[in-house]
Amino acid sequence: MFNVRKLAWVGFAFMLTGTALVAVMIILNEASVLYTFYPPLAAHPFFYVGLVLLVLGIWACCFGVFINYSHWRKAHRGQPTPLLAFFAMGVFVLWFFASIGITIEVLTLIPWSMGLVETTNVMVGRTLFWWFGHSLVNIWYLVAASVWYVVVPKLIGGRHFNEKLIKLVVILLVILNIPGGFHHQIVDPGISLSIKYLHVFMSLAIAVPSLMTAFAMFAVFERAGRRLGGKGLLGWLKKLPWGDVRFLAPMIAMIAFIPGGAGGIVNTSNQLNQVIHNTLWVVGHFHVTVGMSVVMTFFGICYWLVPYLAKRRLTAKMNRLGVIQTIIWTVGMVLMAGSQHAAGLLGDPRRTSFTTYGDHSTALSWIPYEYVMGMGAVLLLIGVLIQVYAVFHMMFFAPKGETEFPVAEAEDGAAPAPMWTERWGLWIVLLLMVVAMAYVVPIMDFILNAPPGSPPIKTW
Amino acid sequence: MKQAVYGLLLYGFLVLPPVAALLESIMIVHMHMQMPLLVLSGIFMARFFQIHFPRFFEKWNKNGVPGVLLFMVIWSYWMIPRMMDETLSVQAVEVFKFISLPFLAGVSLRDSWSKLGSSAQSMVFVFLTVVFLFMAWIYIGADKQICNNYLEVEQKTLGWGSLAFALIMIIYFLQLFYIDQSEYK
Repeated sequence: MFNVRKLAWVGFAFMLTGTALVAVMIILNEASVLYTFYPPLAAHPFFYVGLVLLVLGIWACCFGVFINYSHWRKAHRGQPTPLLAFFAMGVFVLWFFASIGITIEVLTLIPWSMGLVETTNVMVGRTLFWWFGHSLVNIWYLVAASVWYVVVPKLIGGRHFNEKLIKLVVILLVILNIPGGFHHQIVDPGISLSIKYLHVFMSLAIAVPSLMTAFAMFAVFERAGRRLGGKGLLGWLKKLPWGDVRFLAPMIAMIAFIPGGAGGIVNTSNQLNQVIHNTLWVVGHFHVTVGMSVVMTFFGICYWLVPYLAKRRLTAKMNRLGVIQTIIWTVGMVLMAGSQHAAGLLGDPRRTSFTTYGDHSTALSWIPYEYVMGMGAVLLLIGVLIQVYAVFHMMFFAPKGETEFPVAEAEDGAAPAPMWTERWGLWIVLLLMVVAMAYVVPIMDFILNAPPGSPPIKTW
Repeated sequence: MKQAVYGLLLYGFLVLPPVAALLESIMIVHMHMQMPLLVLSGIFMARFFQIHFPRFFEKWNKNGVPGVLLFMVIWSYWMIPRMMDETLSVQAVEVFKFISLPFLAGVSLRDSWSKLGSSAQSMVFVFLTVVFLFMAWIYIGADKQICNNYLEVEQKTLGWGSLAFALIMIIYFLQLFYIDQSEYK
């Protein structure tokens, strides 16, 4: 039998080496290509080799999960998979198919950056990047959602929502996800307006499972609150354990996804995107979605997962520190993301260094918002320091003891998820169909009507 | 019955002139999105006909073979470049498309599917795969514009799209062999 544990370590080693290689190249000023490394900006070939190693590491982990899943299926015939394992399967299926696009891109960029090939097709590169880029953030979101659905209900003394709905949300997020990245290219040239218009539907399709999640989570909260004696229209809200950081952090994360999701719909809509494209609004958007919805969920996880792994306990004092950290982080993010959204609407660009454009009045009007961003950033730095301290403390210094890995159970008498939800072969084929529908047109257009291509360019 | 209503809503949406015009303006979307969606709307609406006219289906589609043959004929017909071209220039052909794909192909496919054995179902998959491969060969290989209404570049795109669909169908087929489907019923 193949050793999955070894495969995970192999993946970890690959990712660590890849990240180190990439970071070294950036620090050596050999890879000033920003996060998206769009061609024609060229980095040192080792930067791309590092990315290849990173993806190989991800694939090793993907295959580990797939092998584990298939073992479990063989040993438990006719039983639906446990929810967290189902989420893991969704996350890694998405990882695998999303990373195919970027792998093709990077493999074409390596000979180009080495000078073996003279030019590269810039538009194909950008499109292959966003085949991967948006799914990447959705992978983080899917991991956070697994905690919302499966762990949070246990922490508040409730039960998880209907298993069929949860699995359907995972399936929909996996199938519909990859073309969602296209809205990052909504102002790109070379793509006809009708194709962009059709793509808006594909991007907005991801909003459907997110709205299902919002509905399901509030239903879980209300049920748990009422069970604990909450009365009246909103009395159940008071019964929730607001003083428990393990609940508070993911709860604020979930609430943040309401403005985050709404902002996402703005970004996806063709006309609205014209207003906010490449402004600080976008930076504000991912501070809300990733910096709050995802990261705060992960912070919340730390307060039970780290003690669980270290065989220690979460003390009342550490819980209080966690609550304080959560509040500092929330205030910091609200200041930072809020002012970024506002400055973006006034036209403040992103991906540029600071300038007042010769003291132009519009550019000067952005500065007050930039002060607020700075204040938010200071609070966030304090938040990070506290979080790092908390993790170290819980890992090495907290009192020894047993910590439970919280996994919620189904409502009494709830039906198990139907077995058709486990047909990953079919979901993957549907995912590929959606990808084919989304990408054949633009990619063929870019290749068949290709411009001469661009040589590598190093700006600084 | 609920799904028949959803099918009707989908059909109504696809029939809307701006929607139809947008989908038909891009060759590959016309063939790979609008046409399958019309069949899908028919698959959903089939429930209505099965409930209200059970005798008709019992009489004409007892073992599912006539229905699936009708589906194959209609589907193949719409794969002919000339037919697709004519929907844009001749109103009557456009009307025929909106009737034939949902009501002749979609409804009959739905009614036949459960009546067919697994080997006959596999044959439908093989048929679709072969059709897609054939289309890929025609549209990528043709060095002339085949449709009056679409450019050569769109034709090539459609060819590559068909090849992608054929490969995906083959992947689907392979996983049917390797994964025991009885577990998921």
